[in-house]
Amino acid sequence: MVKFIAEYQVLIFALVKILIMLGFFLNLAPVLVFVERRQAALIQDRVGPNRAVVKVPGFLLKGALATPALLAGVAVAALCFKFFPANPPETGVGRGFWMAELATLVLWSHALVLAGYVRVSGDAANPLEAALRDMRDPRWIFYTGGFLHLALGVLYGASSPANEAEVSKAFALGGPAALAGVLLLVAAYLGYRIPSGTVELRAAGLLHSIADALKFAFKEDFVPPKADKLLHSLGPLISLFPALVTYAIIPFGDALCFGTTNGALDVTKLAETASTVGACAEGQQAVSLQIADLNIGVLYLFAMGGTGIIGAALAGWSSDNKWSLLGGLRAASQMVSYEVAMGLSLVGAFMVYGTPRLGEMVRWQAENTWGIFVQPLAFFLFFAAAIAEQKRTPFDAPEGESEIIAGYFVEYSSFKFAMFYTGEYIELVTSSALLVTIFLGGWTMPFLHRDAVHVAFGDTVLLHSQMSHLVATLLGVGIFFGKVLSMSFFQIFLRWTLPRFRYDQIMAFGWKFMLPAVIANIVLTGLLVLGASSAGPSVASGLRLAADATGFIVIGASAFLAVKFARLLLSPVERARFTSSGVAARVGRVGRTPETPMQA
Amino acid sequence: MGNGIIGKPIPRPSRDAKVQAYLPSVVAGIGVTVKHFFKNTKELAFGQRNDPVLEAFDDGVTTISYPEQKRPYPERFRGVHRLTLREDGNPRCVACLCCSTACPAQCIHIVAGEYADADKKGWEKYPVSFVIDELRCIFCGYCVEACPCDAIRMDTGQHAVPYDSRDQFIYERETLMSFSDPSGRQLTENPKDDPARGHTPDRLKH
Repeated sequence: MVKFIAEYQVLIFALVKILIMLGFFLNLAPVLVFVERRQAALIQDRVGPNRAVVKVPGFLLKGALATPALLAGVAVAALCFKFFPANPPETGVGRGFWMAELATLVLWSHALVLAGYVRVSGDAANPLEAALRDMRDPRWIFYTGGFLHLALGVLYGASSPANEAEVSKAFALGGPAALAGVLLLVAAYLGYRIPSGTVELRAAGLLHSIADALKFAFKEDFVPPKADKLLHSLGPLISLFPALVTYAIIPFGDALCFGTTNGALDVTKLAETASTVGACAEGQQAVSLQIADLNIGVLYLFAMGGTGIIGAALAGWSSDNKWSLLGGLRAASQMVSYEVAMGLSLVGAFMVYGTPRLGEMVRWQAENTWGIFVQPLAFFLFFAAAIAEQKRTPFDAPEGESEIIAGYFVEYSSFKFAMFYTGEYIELVTSSALLVTIFLGGWTMPFLHRDAVHVAFGDTVLLHSQMSHLVATLLGVGIFFGKVLSMSFFQIFLRWTLPRFRYDQIMAFGWKFMLPAVIANIVLTGLLVLGASSAGPSVASGLRLAADATGFIVIGASAFLAVKFARLLLSPVERARFTSSGVAARVGRVGRTPETPMQA
Repeated sequence: MGNGIIGKPIPRPSRDAKVQAYLPSVVAGIGVTVKHFFKNTKELAFGQRNDPVLEAFDDGVTTISYPEQKRPYPERFRGVHRLTLREDGNPRCVACLCCSTACPAQCIHIVAGEYADADKKGWEKYPVSFVIDELRCIFCGYCVEACPCDAIRMDTGQHAVPYDSRDQFIYERETLMSFSDPSGRQLTENPKDDPARGHTPDRLKH
């Protein structure tokens, strides 16, 4: 087995990476369909899709929800006390501190969820739940949690040399124990609280996407009688193709460094700490978390993305339908127009980063600052062009439901329609991933370095905490996928906010505004890059300070949004009752609009 | 004649620099949608959403999730018929055929019979079969008006549920007797017209 892995490890790594990316992108497509419907409903004050229901036996649900917590608890306990024990305690104090913070977070967030549940449903199963239900203001759970976080931080930071040994020991042993204990407690409580009978699982409407996918698979595949059979079938294939191949060049994490045996990469020798210069230290080999690290980089993306036009145009032409022909024409002209602006908008980024490779672009951003701060104009131009390329609102004239029904895919049914549909959402994810990689720092966050959390402004170090190579890399992967999710979420918000441009407005915007703007951006960037590279060291150190400041801006903005979100979640609701009609008076007498079980 | 249509005056949107620049308005619009989304999501998730009837005019989701949630009918709503019962569980109906005569849709069919035992006042009739075709019924309420004994009422507060086949809409005597008013009463509040008590209804007295 080990020999087999050693022999084919390049292939195995490639397959694993393809599986990760394919899993992420393909699963995100139905999730985004769900998100889009949910947003549409809730923005318009509707309930939205919530009818699809699966009846699950309680024990299955118990297993599905409690097992991960159980496994995580056991894993924490096993890893910290059996395999990587903190001996002497000084080595594990940082780890213990973060685990204690995590345990606190899990504890108060679960308490808050439980309090919310019992306060809504009203049925408390034990005195604890009754206390949660009857407490005056559940916001105190949140405040207490925040206080505990702070108290732990103060305890950790203020350990004097006199009591340092005790504090180290307490954190090194107490942290993992607390985290494992809390996770096991959560698992046990889930097992205890989820009802044993049949549970109706609605997953907030997520099942509708799955039902739709199933429905597509079983629908009749109708081809118009006078359509070109071959081209009609090729259309969705060519349309889906670029969406599925472009993610091959998107790096989803930092390179993993492995030691070598006899000059060959050895998977059992994962590096303890990462080198801060270059990809890996001497004598180590890197496995980049990117399916294909092409030297033409982002140009491959434009080459592949360009083929999408053919799919839409073919579909529109071959369907033998005037609406679809109009849609196909619109799609072709729009995508060709915006392809130009999209390509040129990245030239400035090439100049600043000095490379077309996406991985190296992210490394530049990790060392300096996010791309959006050095190329703000290019960010917006690329964003607009990317939306136009995906044919999404406000650039959705090729589909234009109110004018030409569904545009180029009006004559498609069954799974061919699903391919267009899925392709659109995968393109959405791809463009989000590209925006994140080129402009929003990819897998990096400010102050999160390859070896440590290192908060500094100029030469003043504010916080420094070491991390192991594996933790840092996994954190990076999580950050990348999280950023892509948020970006996709934001793009869907755009769809529900902006009305559609008229066709001539789209063309005018593309050729008369976007193109001059991207060319101006290139000239401006060229001048600035030349100026910055020929200026003295004082300018260089000033730029470095500015780069550090952008890190604080990002963290500050994130913290601001997080606090705002928490305030929204915890804000109480006060409403005016309107009981002038007879029906409302009847309802008011009962207390609320009655709920009845479904009939017939 | 010819006042024209008087509508609500709506101010034209201003075309100042902020609107014409597009991007500031886009940001403001995204702010509106994001706020709506998160507020409504939070209220749905935390069970704080509006009561669709009592708080129908407030901001937020006011959808009635039919059929789990139902807007109650007004108190005088004419729903599915029920046959009211006497205290001994027999129908109050004396099979006088007033209702079936009054029925404009001719959806009531009654076969009359006589109580055999003397305790039940041998002269009194009762419906051997009492059938209402709920598909033909136009829910006019004439049968209720016509009944001298308050034996048929339409105060169940329910409408006929959609069924799979037509014969399920034919409500037999036992079905009609099984219904109750919204508070669960199968008798009627009106004791004086109870034929079993030996009263002669006032309007039949000469």
